[in-house]
Amino acid sequence: MATILLIEDDALVRRGLQLALRRHGHAVRTADTGEDGLRELRAAEPDLVVLDVMLPGIDGFEVCRRVRSVTQVPVIMLTARGDDFDVVEGLEAGADDYVVKPARPTVLDARIRAVLRRSTDPTEGVRVHRDLRIDTAALTVSRRGEPVPLTPTELRLLLTLSRTPGRVFSRQQLLEEVWEHRYLGDSRLVDNCVQRLRVKVEADPAAPEYVQTVRGFGYRFGPV
Amino acid sequence: MRRSWPAALALLLAGCGIQPSGVDDAGRAATGVAPGVTLYFVDDDGRLQPQLRRINRLGTISEALALLLTGPGSSGLRTEITPSGPAPIVVDPRPGLIRLMTPLAEYEVTPLGIDQIVCTALGVWVQSGGAADTRVQVTFTLASPESERHRTCPRTG
Amino acid sequence: MTRRWWPRGLRIRLLVAFVLVAVTGAGAAAWSGARSASAALVTVTERRLTEAVAGQLNALTPQLTYPPNQAALDRLRAAVGTDTLVTYRALRSAAGDHTALVSDALRDAVRSRDRLSTQRISAGGVPWLLIGTPVMVTAPDGRQTRSGIEVYAVRDLAAVEQQVDGMTRSAARTAALALPLAVLLALSAAGSVLRPVRKLRDTARRLAAGDLDARSPPRGADELADLTVTINQMAGSLQESMAGMRRMQADARRFAADASHELRTPLSTLTAVVEVLASATDGMADDARESAELAITETHRLVRLVDDLMEVSRFDGGTAQLLMEEIDLADAVRDSLRARGWAGRVDLVAPPGTRLRVDRRRLDVIVANLVGNALRHGHPPVRVRITDRPALVSIEVTDRGPGLPGHVLPQVFERFYKHDAARSRTPGSGLGLAIARENARLHGGDLTAGNADGGGARFVLHLPREDT
Repeated sequence: MATILLIEDDALVRRGLQLALRRHGHAVRTADTGEDGLRELRAAEPDLVVLDVMLPGIDGFEVCRRVRSVTQVPVIMLTARGDDFDVVEGLEAGADDYVVKPARPTVLDARIRAVLRRSTDPTEGVRVHRDLRIDTAALTVSRRGEPVPLTPTELRLLLTLSRTPGRVFSRQQLLEEVWEHRYLGDSRLVDNCVQRLRVKVEADPAAPEYVQTVRGFGYRFGPV
Repeated sequence: MRRSWPAALALLLAGCGIQPSGVDDAGRAATGVAPGVTLYFVDDDGRLQPQLRRINRLGTISEALALLLTGPGSSGLRTEITPSGPAPIVVDPRPGLIRLMTPLAEYEVTPLGIDQIVCTALGVWVQSGGAADTRVQVTFTLASPESERHRTCPRTG
Repeated sequence: MTRRWWPRGLRIRLLVAFVLVAVTGAGAAAWSGARSASAALVTVTERRLTEAVAGQLNALTPQLTYPPNQAALDRLRAAVGTDTLVTYRALRSAAGDHTALVSDALRDAVRSRDRLSTQRISAGGVPWLLIGTPVMVTAPDGRQTRSGIEVYAVRDLAAVEQQVDGMTRSAARTAALALPLAVLLALSAAGSVLRPVRKLRDTARRLAAGDLDARSPPRGADELADLTVTINQMAGSLQESMAGMRRMQADARRFAADASHELRTPLSTLTAVVEVLASATDGMADDARESAELAITETHRLVRLVDDLMEVSRFDGGTAQLLMEEIDLADAVRDSLRARGWAGRVDLVAPPGTRLRVDRRRLDVIVANLVGNALRHGHPPVRVRITDRPALVSIEVTDRGPGLPGHVLPQVFERFYKHDAARSRTPGSGLGLAIARENARLHGGDLTAGNADGGGARFVLHLPREDT
């Protein structure tokens, strides 16, 4: 049971999704424009935002960027199609996942639950890797004593990689573990999330120390 | 057909040499042989008569005129040229005109005598292959219009 | 087979014709010049020789004893010179090695014609002039009778022939001089004639290659200029109709794209609410429940159809993008099969470690379509075989069904093509194979359809290796 903010301009689609998500047990707040949605975000403090990229006024990408600038709340984009420019732009704007329209409520619900699990899945102990301190119980990360704000997806990715330093994860493995995409996830989700994570935790994102690329295979956590 | 023309070209080039021919006419036959020389004298009727002197060859105009000046001998013919010493008649044959320079004065010879000289000279000329329409100019030692005349033999035309 | 020796190229043909004409003309002119010059030379030489003989004879005959004796004949012969034969009845006087050359024809002419006669002959490769004449007896009045003396002289024409040959050679040289000149002239003439032709050909070639902007500027007012103008006009009207067709095609595509895009909004609502409906069927009457289920099924089908239509519009509009990554092909195919629950129904024959850069999603679309078709329309066992070659990787999907009838093969990749009525009720949109092939081609590869040796359909996907 989570509170979901649905930002969608078409009244019938909005109503249909609201009905369906409610049936899956979520509390659904709705907004029909980006401005309205950002107001509602502050008022309702939802657990997750489902955002249509095609919005009148400020578009979905801009809404996503503004959401990200104030909170680490997970965002799921509704896009036209998996290989469109929308996906890249949405991921760069900070979205955690995306679902292609027309979205089947069961699929959307599965994604929502997977994203939410990332922020409520604590394990034991504290891992220290050089300057980086990862508290797996409190789910906080700090670098040289400074707290690093991470979205649930970024945190889950860092936790997954750092659990076994030096092990190489393929993008597909990461999609399954972090995004819970059991089959044929979009590897751009991983690549974009890695980029964002590096910006936050690395001293020099261009020469990563912790999240390293293994060309042709995937990523691993360093230092090894 | 195209391959035959190099052969034609070769033939053409070869054709530039001298080719054998059939028998071609190349002009009048040689002449000039004769059993003797014909001299002209005058008969009793005052007409010119030819007299063949058998000398087994034709000889030259000069020889014929020299014989003429020696007279007709005993043939019943006479000459109207007055014999006058041993000086010969100078013959200058040119195409179309034979000039005879006599050692005679005009009065030493009658017109018939002049015909004797002209016919004898023309006869030898024609017999040795000369043209029959050749004229004869007889010049005398003393200046006279007769010396300038171009004459023909009245017997042969 | 006829031997083709006449050259093909227009240029070389012009050149050859020009040179032939020029050289033939020059040769003919030179040859005829040489010919008439040599004829004149021969004539003059013959006349000179003949007149010499006649002159020598006429100079001597008046002094010659007649009828002649042997001594007279000898004198006559000596006067005429060497290679001379003089006869008189039984008497005969000859000197020189070549008097035997005197021909019977000449003797006959001398005896019958009473004229000076000549004849050119060739003996031992050398040309000779035979001169023959009877010696006539002329009366003071001009009448002629035969004397019985005959004179024959044989004269060498080799020197003349050398001169003639020299003229011929110089004529040939002159004609040969014309050759390089003719080649030069022919080259420039051919160039000026062929340059516009070549330009026109280049233009036509560009037009044929699809460059409809190609034109050649017409120059002058000859037939070639007319042709150029006509070709330009043709290209112009072709370009216009092509542009019109493209406009119509683009309009049609945009319409398809727009239509499917517009369909998505109501479909989004439908998709959302049919699941609510589905979860609420428990309390419904049978007919209402069945209706709800039908609505769900058809909604999903509609979604797929719209998805496929949009995918096709992207291919048509050229906006389809490849998302390449290096993957293990066997793993990828296995994942595709497993995700659809087909892993147990399909034999996968694959060499391990076949890695290739592909768009994973598009590969999945192809494999799913081919295997799905095989499972639906063919009989088991359905087999997927990956063949790894240096330049190319092939994925072959075969089944043991009835295979594809011959008349179907050329159309199998056409959009909305369904070769039997029964298939029209299957869940496919009718665009699956078309999309699969477009995906293959987007990779620079191809998808082919055929029948396996043992019966059954056989589809082969070829994917090129990028680095080869």
